[in-house]
Amino acid sequence: MTEETIGQFKNSFYYGSRSDMNFKFLKDLPDEQVENFLQELLWELGDTLDDGNLERIIGHIYQYQQKGYAGTGRFTYSSSAFTRVQLPINKMRFALISSSGHFVKGQDPNPFGVENMTQKQAEDRITDFIRLEPELISIPTNTPTDQLGVRHGGYDVRGAIMDRNVNFPIDRLNELAAEGVVGEFASPAYSFVGACSQMRLQKHALPRWIDTLKSEAVQGLILVPV
Amino acid sequence: MEESGIVTVVIATGVFSDRIKSMHLPRLVSTNFPMGRPLGAPLDREMQKEVLLSALDLIENANEAGVTTVFKGRYRPGNF
Repeated sequence: MTEETIGQFKNSFYYGSRSDMNFKFLKDLPDEQVENFLQELLWELGDTLDDGNLERIIGHIYQYQQKGYAGTGRFTYSSSAFTRVQLPINKMRFALISSSGHFVKGQDPNPFGVENMTQKQAEDRITDFIRLEPELISIPTNTPTDQLGVRHGGYDVRGAIMDRNVNFPIDRLNELAAEGVVGEFASPAYSFVGACSQMRLQKHALPRWIDTLKSEAVQGLILVPV
Repeated sequence: MEESGIVTVVIATGVFSDRIKSMHLPRLVSTNFPMGRPLGAPLDREMQKEVLLSALDLIENANEAGVTTVFKGRYRPGNF
């Protein structure tokens, strides 16, 4: 049996033998930081055994996820367009787009022609997804919870399975519309798989998405990158 | 989106704060929540709504591009 190096160990969480979307960031940390992450995590678990306080564990994971995704990435812009709001929000019509990977059951987009693709299969095909033009999936805002599916090869979907509102807040926006906080919440809401070709998203998909929203008289848009 | 007259706000976890800051988004609410759960923990309806209200406040009150609100609420799973 050959010994595993720390480098092999950390890489295994990134679509490897220990693939884990919550901890795939370990691959991008120097070995010493991986060792610190684990040692500190175990120490804090010891404290949590005694006081039951999970906050330190959550904070620890958040802090190291942030270290793992540090750096500006490939897409930097020095400025952006800005539209001034014309109406109070209780007169505005809002839409939602999330990169969460939700879809209505029975209308599975079947990526790459694969029927009923599993989360595991999506993770296994991540390199195919990131070359793909994203497909905007329409989701009526009255879709019952048990009729909504979620699959995304880039993040751990278990929280979104437990409650879609963690990254696709259609129930909360329905409530805000019913309470009169916002004028309207437009149906359908939209989701797509954010692990996609960013170039194709910008050049090909986005102009069509804007046309769609304009045709639906959307004035305000909540965007949730996951 | 903004060029076409649609007012936008982004809600994102601060895990990606370096990358998102470098995009100079028109309006951003950044939450201290783990990756994959930018609105808060499952079933934490109150926190999810507070995050959305924070985003709507930016829609209503931001006067220039690049305004960021760092949402102060803590991620609190369970007990709902």
